[in-house]
Amino acid sequence: MNPPTSESAAHVITLLASLMLVLQLLLVVQRMLVANIRVFAFQSLVLAAIAAVVGYAYEAPHVYVVAALTLAGKVLFLPWWLERLVRQIKIEQEIDAFVNMPASMLICGALTLLAYIVARPITSLERLGNNTLAVAIALMLIGFFLMINRRKAITQVLALLTMENGVMLAAIALTTYGMPLVVEIGIFFHVVIAVMVLGILVFRIRETFASMDVSKLNELKW
Amino acid sequence: MLLISILCAPFVVGLLCLFARPHALMESLNIAGFVTVLILGVKLFKTVLTNNGNAVTQWNEFLRADALSAWMVLLIAIVSLATSLYAVRYFRRELANATVTERRFREFYVLTPLFAAGMFLVVLANNLGVMWIAVEATALSSVLLVALYNRKTSLEAAWKYVMLGGLGLVLALFGTIFTYAAAIGKTGGEMPSFNWSRLCGMAPQLDHHLITLAFIFALVGYGTKAGLAPMHTWLPDAHSEAPSPTSAMLSGVSLKIAVYALVRFHIITTACLGSSFSSNLLLGFGLFSMLLAGPFILVQQNLKRMLAYSSLEHVGLIFVAVGMNAPLTVFGALLHMGYHALTKPVLFFAAGNIHQQFHTLDFQRIGSGLVRTMPVTAFLLGLAAVAVSGLPPFGLFVSELTVLAGSFTSNYAWASVVILISLIVVFCGVLNKLAGLLLGPSDGEHARETISVSNIAAMSLPLGALLVFTVWLPDSLRRLMELAVNIIRGLP
Repeated sequence: MNPPTSESAAHVITLLASLMLVLQLLLVVQRMLVANIRVFAFQSLVLAAIAAVVGYAYEAPHVYVVAALTLAGKVLFLPWWLERLVRQIKIEQEIDAFVNMPASMLICGALTLLAYIVARPITSLERLGNNTLAVAIALMLIGFFLMINRRKAITQVLALLTMENGVMLAAIALTTYGMPLVVEIGIFFHVVIAVMVLGILVFRIRETFASMDVSKLNELKW
Repeated sequence: MLLISILCAPFVVGLLCLFARPHALMESLNIAGFVTVLILGVKLFKTVLTNNGNAVTQWNEFLRADALSAWMVLLIAIVSLATSLYAVRYFRRELANATVTERRFREFYVLTPLFAAGMFLVVLANNLGVMWIAVEATALSSVLLVALYNRKTSLEAAWKYVMLGGLGLVLALFGTIFTYAAAIGKTGGEMPSFNWSRLCGMAPQLDHHLITLAFIFALVGYGTKAGLAPMHTWLPDAHSEAPSPTSAMLSGVSLKIAVYALVRFHIITTACLGSSFSSNLLLGFGLFSMLLAGPFILVQQNLKRMLAYSSLEHVGLIFVAVGMNAPLTVFGALLHMGYHALTKPVLFFAAGNIHQQFHTLDFQRIGSGLVRTMPVTAFLLGLAAVAVSGLPPFGLFVSELTVLAGSFTSNYAWASVVILISLIVVFCGVLNKLAGLLLGPSDGEHARETISVSNIAAMSLPLGALLVFTVWLPDSLRRLMELAVNIIRGLP
């Protein structure tokens, strides 16, 4: 069920996918919390754009729904909600990382390389663009790294969300028309609810520990 | 209608509790809801049997219940019912002690039925994507239950749970998508179906590379949720910090729901790639979990953490038994799921009583001689401990023996040696710790326990059922499990 080949659309999708990767790297080096949230919003916007291009180029109207959901949820609602949370709990803006900036860039480079190697045997199955699957896996691996590297609870939530972006990119790259609509809508609502639950927890952690530093969550051992 | 009502009953109860004012109303709504679900579950089990193992479907195959699902529905219903019975006295006492606020009290009675509804959706959904969403829903509803006490440690446990769980579920979503992608282009031009039954039917044609990757992602993803070592680190924290009724549900059924989800992937993978790949992975991870649990139990200082590690060991055994893929071992695995679901809640309930009496779960601080200060709890805890360490006359002895017998007769004699060693280590650990706790002189500082009828009922009913079903396994139940064994082994 390969879609009719459309050279220009494939190029646009490849370009946008690499833009997502660049934004992910920006997230690794960016130290201001609010800027981090906005970079994530922009990355989600690029994802929505990819979905829209797919919908347009391959005449798959239901991918437009995915684009619209991404736009409403991850570009507008979640960033707004997270920024409100940041204002509410009045945390300091700067984020400490465990690994310094040049080292983390090197690590991310290595992770991207790893993603390309992992994706190599299955790139022939990609139905859209070049190496989109590799980018998706790279997004996921760098998301992992972000989660380990950051101490603030909210940045861990952001890392989880960017990993989710990677999964959605893989879904579009592998399946062209996306997944059945029930599943897409379900995943959308799940992401929104998950972030709200996480927000509640962040709020309570902040109240109880007077900090959002997750490295202080260390009382429970084996 | 049957499947929808099983899903809706707990969901509606959850919504009603959002608005119910009196405490007694919330409690009785929960109990009534789970009694209804249990009756419906028995009905489903009968329907599946009269259908001769053919699946009951609804909404154009959106919901589907075969023998395996029916078995899981029964387990969820029983554990939830026991939990709601026990919760009555537990939370009244917590409220009286002001350890929980009015708001948290309501939170428990709203979230618990929703948690159960999510689990029912996992086992009844045919669509793999919907199954993933449902697993995530159970994680989200239970994370707030884990954080119910709002202590520093419970928040830490909840954070670890939601982060590791979320990470695992992102990987599981990757696996789910890969499975779907493996079917594209094999259906002759149309959109492939995301339904498990369809994917399983066309399994040999699926793309082998993608299915291999999909299973690995699903294993790590759902394995995290099932508490498979080395992704188990959230498990002892969440189980020990949650209120005891929630611990019972987490350990009694929620872990098995993740096992169920993984088994569904295992069936597709086996049908696609032949029997050895996914079985070996399950066997390896299962053995590792079992071996890891033993030493941690031996050094554990906290009662509920020790129980959590014992769950880890039992989940490991279930994985090992499924991985061996022999008729007897898979049967043993299903039996073990059932018996463990009846035993573990009792242990956590007893731990809850102890916590309310002593305000600690630390073995040293509780001291010894519980038989004198808390005779009823101590007696039931002792019985359940004997059961959970696999001693006769309780069911876990039978199921463990079944698995061992199956592994000796198939080609896994070496694995059964490993199983035996780890079972012995756990046996010594659990009995040693609990004997110290229950027997011996008591310091006599604490008042004797007060205990209510509902409390005794919630603890002794599962134990009674365990004893009854050990000596007398009804033919219909055995038939259901045999059908489920055939599904897991990929036979028609």
